[in-house]
This record gives sequence, C-alpha cells and structure tokens, in this order.
Amino acid sequence: MRLDWLQLTDVRAYQSLEVRPDPEVNVLVGDNGAGKTTVLEAIGYLASMKSFRRAPDASLIRDGAETAVIRGEFSKGEIRVRVEVEIPRTGRRRVLVNGKRPSTMASVAGEIPLVTFLPDDLDLIKRGPAYRREYLDDLVVSLRPAVAVDLQGYERAVRQRNALLRRDGRYADTMTLDVLDQRIAELGAIVLGLRLDLLERLGPVLSGLYAVLGDGPEQVAWIYERSHGGPIVGVSPRPDLGADLAAALAAARQTDLDRRTTTVGPHRDEIVLTLANRDVRTRASQGEQRSVALGLRVAAYDLLRERGDVPVLVLDDVFSELDEGRSRRLVDRLPEGQVFVSSAREDEVPVRGRRWQVTAGSITGVGEES
Amino acid sequence: MFEAPVQKLIDELARLPGIGQKSAQRIAFHLLHVEETDARRLAEAVVEMRERVRLCARCFNVTDSEECSICRDLRRDPSAICVVERAQDVVVVERTHEFRGRYHVLGGAISPIEGVGPEQLRLRELIARIEPEGVTEVIVATNPTVEGDTTALYLARSLKPLGLTVTRLASGLPVGGDLDYADELTLGRALSGRREM
Ligand SMILES: [Zn+2]
Repeated sequence: MRLDWLQLTDVRAYQSLEVRPDPEVNVLVGDNGAGKTTVLEAIGYLASMKSFRRAPDASLIRDGAETAVIRGEFSKGEIRVRVEVEIPRTGRRRVLVNGKRPSTMASVAGEIPLVTFLPDDLDLIKRGPAYRREYLDDLVVSLRPAVAVDLQGYERAVRQRNALLRRDGRYADTMTLDVLDQRIAELGAIVLGLRLDLLERLGPVLSGLYAVLGDGPEQVAWIYERSHGGPIVGVSPRPDLGADLAAALAAARQTDLDRRTTTVGPHRDEIVLTLANRDVRTRASQGEQRSVALGLRVAAYDLLRERGDVPVLVLDDVFSELDEGRSRRLVDRLPEGQVFVSSAREDEVPVRGRRWQVTAGSITGVGEES
Repeated sequence: MFEAPVQKLIDELARLPGIGQKSAQRIAFHLLHVEETDARRLAEAVVEMRERVRLCARCFNVTDSEECSICRDLRRDPSAICVVERAQDVVVVERTHEFRGRYHVLGGAISPIEGVGPEQLRLRELIARIEPEGVTEVIVATNPTVEGDTTALYLARSLKPLGLTVTRLASGLPVGGDLDYADELTLGRALSGRREM
C-alpha cells in the first residue's frame, strides 16, 4: 500500500495543505515545531483512526477553526482506497472510506497497513503493561481487521460493567452483572486467544530480528501473565481461556463490588518480554531495550508484509535517538515500500529519497534525489 | 452568532441525531428562503405527529390509535413475539416478510454507561403479555452490539424459567452496528436461521 495524495484542512498549523508524496522514500526536514510530526500523524490517523502521539482528537484542530479534515488516497496496484476524516470541535467525528460511511469504526482500522517508529518507542518496554497490550492489540487488528469488533466489544463490555459498579457499587443488579460477566468471558477469551496466537508468531521473529538489530544472537521470548490464573508461556497447551475468565470474574465479584471496578481480565494482563531469560523491562541495558523495542516495530512490519501487503512506513524523528550502529542496521533493513522519515537535521537521516522542507504551515519539495 | 430567531432554530436542529452545526445552518437558511407555506407545513407535520401519534398499549410500537396495526391484525401469530430495541426496528424486521408474529418494543438496551438498566426497559410489560397472549417463543432481535447482546442474555435468563423458547437472530448481521445496517436479505436469513439461546 502507498499514499498517493494527502490533503489537510485546519489540522494544527496547516490551514490547507496538499501533497503528492513520492512512492518510495520521503524525507521531511524542518525545525522542531515546524509541523513534520503533524503530517506524519495525519497519515497515521488515516490508517489507525487515532493519533500515534496519543493526542486527543480536538488537539488536531487548528486554533480558531471548527473542524479538522484529513483526506488521503492510498493505492496498491489497481486498488484505490480513499479515506476521509472530519474532526469537529463539538459532536462526532465523521469517517468516509471510498465515499461511504463504514458500518463500524472497526472496519476502518486495518484497511491501510502502516507501521510507525517513534522516538519514544522505548515506552513499549519501559512503561506499564498498557503499552504492550496496546501494541499487541493494534497489530492483531492490522493483521486481521475482522476481529477489531471483538476487541472493541470486549473493551465496551468492561466499560459497561465498570459503569454499573461505579454507579451502584454493592447494590448493582446481580443479573445484569451476571450477563455482563458472561459476555466479558466470551469476548475476553477471544481477545486472549488472539494475543496468544500473535505472540506465538512474534517470538521467533523477535529473536531473529534481535540477532540483526541488537548486539548478539540472544533469545527473545515472552511470558503472558494473566491478571487471573497462571502465566502462559510459549506454545504450551492452552488452558480453557473462557472458563478460566468466567471463574475469575465470579471469584472477583465481591472485590469488584467493593472497589467498583473490574479487577480481572485481559485489560489487566501483562506481557513480559525476556532476553536470554532476563526480564527486558527490569534487567536489560538501555541499549538492549532499544534493540528489542526496534524489533517490535520491525516485526510488525514483517508480519504485515507476510500477509501480502507492503505497509507504509513512518519514522518520526527516530534517528536522533539511535546510535550510529543501530541506525545503520535499521536502514539496511528498510524495505522496498513507501517510507516517510522526519528529522530536524538533514544530515542525520541516513537514507536517500525525496526531500521535503517543512516550515510552519507549508511543505515544499526540494528537488529530486539528494 | 446569527439573529436570535435564526440561531434558535439552528440550535434546535443541531440537537437532532445526525445533524451537526453546519447542516443545521444549511437547513435553517433553506427554510428562511422557501415559500412560507412550505415552512409552515413542516412545522405542522411535527406538531401533528406529536399530537396524534402515540405508543401502542400492547407492544409500544408507534400508532395513531389504542393499538398498532400489527397488534390488531388477527392473521398474525400470537404465539411468537419479536423483541426489538426501538420502534423503527419493527419496520426493519417487517420489510423482510419473514416474521408473522407480533412485536415488543423494549425502548432501548441495557447500557449502564448511559444509565439504562433493565428497570428502564419495558421488560415487565413483556412478561405480562406472555400468559394472556399464549406466547411460546420470544425472538430477540436487539442490535448486534455489546448492549444488544447483553440485553438478549438478560431476556433469556428472565424468560426461560417461564417455559418459553428464547431465540436470537443467527449470525451474519454486521456486528457492532444497528439493526438497520443489515440489508433485508441478510436480516431475513438471520431471522429464519435463529438459534435457541
Ligand atoms: Zn402493537
């Protein structure tokens, strides 16, 4: 997949912008704050329906404007996909795919394969479990858009249960809780199964990548630590996920009524990554952590490509964070697809490609290959 | 801000479902420029609907008399009730021509986020209909959403102890959306392939 055309209206500093990117490598150069990230963020938004900087939707709207509009046209051979998003200051966001309103938001995310590398990708390793869960779930949806509805359904069901607990506490209607538990166990088992399926594929890929991107041929492995029941390691025979979760929800009922929230389920699980049997989060060097984080992104790219779709690759100011060795090794592995790279310093970008100069609110192409 | 009477109409229009600020402005200015009789006809249609239309005393479908035309139709099978969330869903199911029983409009789905629990739905009214009408099967046609599914499970648990067969529409509906996203054929198939809960 590649982006052929991008149009922004009232998105942050851009009152109006239209770009026809190069089908291969695009390098956006400009001072910090000039708006390079905004452009990349907009491209990412069209693929994932959210900001990769976790910025709230309203923050995308230009000061003084009412609605931000992002439009893009992607193609893959003969197939063309046009995605349009309108984000109003008040009211609901509007999304069109090829001019039609999609039946659910779930069917939009996953339409465009895209992988982003960010300067703070180290968060995937260093910060809380929510970061690793989000990484897995986003990748699950990119690989299998049809299951997005199950992931969103699970989240929604938990939010419904939490709303009931928060409002009524110990007086919450028992039968409503029972049916919500039943639904959460069914959907939760699907979510868990999808995460484990993905981890099983990811394990060997991560080890292979670490050998290339890292400093040695050390084994990367994972342990899925459930918030209930025991941890799940590798491809060991899987427990009955639905039955386990149903039992855990029942056992946690009293605690949940007291604490007014849902304390067990996939939304509370942790994914531990290990390097030669050491927990990467707590017992690895910064360099090792950096290599594993990079590996997670490259692995996402490789798995998407395996599916038959070359993803759009977005590298937002990542070279400033990498030492020369890792930059080199990453660039050597850069694929044949379309790439967007941003950097404050032109000489920092170790790749050839179309140069774009970004200044507040505008973009100009600077000749052909440099 | 526009002149007060214009702004007042824009504000009212913008509160309607599916209409944003921009559309509200467009409609308001359109109404400003059409013939006065046309604008008046719209206003009267709204008032007339509110005055004449009410809810069916039996199934809570919209009607202009005590009971709706479906409930009054003696050819309909009284032993089967199709439960839907909203009155407009009755029309959606009717279009499939697959269902010959009667309906019951719940008035929503269980959604604690929106403050809707089972007690806010017309559940007691549904249970009250079972015996006098000789109902043996309840088909749950709530939306294929978390809220619709939860409501369906709740209904199954409440109704099965009464000896009823409770069925849910077969899969194949676009999940996560509203019932009316499904085309007639898909919904028809889902109805004829319904499964016991
Ligand atoms: Zn009726």
